Amino acid sequence: MNFLRRLKPSSREGSLAIILLVAVGGTGLINPRFLTGDGTRDLLTSTSVVALLAIGIAPIVVMRHIDLSIASTVGLTAWLIADMSAKNPEFTWVQCFIVGPIIGMAVGVLNGLLVAGLRLPSLVVTLGTLYIVRGLVYVVSNSVDYNAQEMPPSLLDLGQKVFFGLLPFTFLLVIIAMLAVAFFMKYTKGGRDAYAIGSNPPAADLVGLKVFRRTFLAFVFSGFMAGLAGVFYLMRFAQVDSTAFYGQELAVVAAVVIGGVTIMGGSGTVVGAVIGALLVQTIQGGLAALGVDAFWKSAINGLLLIIAIYADRILAVRNEKQLLVQRIRERV
Amino acid sequence: MSKFTTGFQVRKSWDTAILALLAAVIIMASLTTENFLTSLNISYIFSNTSEITIIAFAMLFMIILGEIDLSVASILALGSSMLGWSYAKGAPIWLAIIICLVVGTVCGFINGFLVTKLGLGSLAVTIGTLALYRGIANGILGENTVNEFPEFWTSFGFDTFGTSFMPKTLPLIIFFGLVFGFLLHRTPFGRRTLAIGQSPEAAKFAGINVVKHKMIVFTFTGFMSGVAGVIYTFRFSTAQADNGVGIELLVISAILLGGVSIFGGIGTMWGVIAGVLLAGSVESWLTLQEINAQWRTIVTGILLLISVAAPVLVAKSKERREFKALKS
Repeated sequence: MNFLRRLKPSSREGSLAIILLVAVGGTGLINPRFLTGDGTRDLLTSTSVVALLAIGIAPIVVMRHIDLSIASTVGLTAWLIADMSAKNPEFTWVQCFIVGPIIGMAVGVLNGLLVAGLRLPSLVVTLGTLYIVRGLVYVVSNSVDYNAQEMPPSLLDLGQKVFFGLLPFTFLLVIIAMLAVAFFMKYTKGGRDAYAIGSNPPAADLVGLKVFRRTFLAFVFSGFMAGLAGVFYLMRFAQVDSTAFYGQELAVVAAVVIGGVTIMGGSGTVVGAVIGALLVQTIQGGLAALGVDAFWKSAINGLLLIIAIYADRILAVRNEKQLLVQRIRERV
Repeated sequence: MSKFTTGFQVRKSWDTAILALLAAVIIMASLTTENFLTSLNISYIFSNTSEITIIAFAMLFMIILGEIDLSVASILALGSSMLGWSYAKGAPIWLAIIICLVVGTVCGFINGFLVTKLGLGSLAVTIGTLALYRGIANGILGENTVNEFPEFWTSFGFDTFGTSFMPKTLPLIIFFGLVFGFLLHRTPFGRRTLAIGQSPEAAKFAGINVVKHKMIVFTFTGFMSGVAGVIYTFRFSTAQADNGVGIELLVISAILLGGVSIFGGIGTMWGVIAGVLLAGSVESWLTLQEINAQWRTIVTGILLLISVAAPVLVAKSKERREFKALKS
């Protein structure tokens, strides 16, 4: 036990990374292809949409809020961009990367105004916008689908681009976004405020933090990332219909929570969220390699989420006890 | 004390507003369309909202407690899938129905166990079990559907009494409505529910067994979702894994429309019934106007936003008025 304790990494992200390595290694034992360059590339490509969304909502979850509308926003931006590029042949990847985030931010502004401005519970508000945005996709799409032929070739090429045979362009962007947000959350006033707001919202108000501005901007940022994820969706799947990415918000929440961002707010990091997304994807891949039917995918997601929440709870209780013991010792 | 004693009386402000809104929608709908107030259309409104109403009766307690259960639609689907699966495997229909109800109850119990005994947040847990239960239903049935059921039962799910406005499921719904209305407004159990919702800490110190109470509410929410699963299966005469996707949101929006506070502690049975009927009437109105089914998703979302924003806005303007009155 002592030996194990010495090996134990001090941070949540460290232990997650070890679990991830074990999961990758285990899957590699069953299916050696998983450990090759192709396997790694597949894993990173298929994780990039969820990972991007996880980076987007992690700050919101840290602030003890939630954004369930992201999956609908991905569907909306993906469909609208495909529609625009089908109608204007001169559309290139540059326009896609500009238009996508703008559409996403519009949804984010709506969420932000309702949650931060009116102080409504984010769960209900974003459930509402989940519906409204998905409904918009149904209405504007009118059952029209788009395939690879109608999309800008430059965008699809970018989606195929891989560095060193390992790192897809999309995941490179994920890493850049992750580092930027991680830096923001750790070293800037806005980031520290987010943790303060999440650990104790009324106290944050009393201390005079700019709760409205921080919450509002967090929702706009999550919308921005969801718009970007819509572009990524097109790059990965090269086809879109009105049900694109339907119901995937829960997979993102699962990834974030598994990555150690507590649903009760105030703790967790973006790096953890990305590792969580990778872990979920790896476990799915591992079970597929074991021959488990794809129909069980959602059940496994749910089970993973519950286990992660439970692990969080146990850690929190243990920390509390340790703090108490420490405090008593200091007194004595 | 007034909140506890008003019971079945109509609460002022929001409840009155919702009743007025319901009346307005019914009048507008019957003026703008020809068929709104026909007995056939009324029976459609009742039967289209039957599962939502059944689940809402139980979910009302859940939201008053300050908890939430997002897994109800998945429980419905799992129950329905088990019903179809066991019937297709040769079980008699009564046994299949009992299996559906038992599955629902067990799912609710598991939710309750995770929330109360392990101390996890109900929002996160039921997002997890939402995926879990639906996933199990998927794993059992895959893409198969079961749609051969005895005619007696499909008629129970689908037909009305003669040509009246009453679907055959309505007496069952009324029965459950009376039971849960009585439970909430006329029994110590209901009063405890409201007390816990107002302040769990205070309720605990007043000697209420909060853990046991929540456990019971989670379990009967699961049971009612199982009942809704039975009705859903026979109404569409299909058992499949994606039955009732998204119903949990309709249930929650109907309850919030009915003036139940999302923060817990406030809510009446009348309000919920009015909320469900309002949502059902608006839906039926849109259908009769031949407005695209796609628009209805948007309307549901907007209704949900209004139902949560309106009480807050009303309270805020009231506060401002009182503040002004104090100043002058």
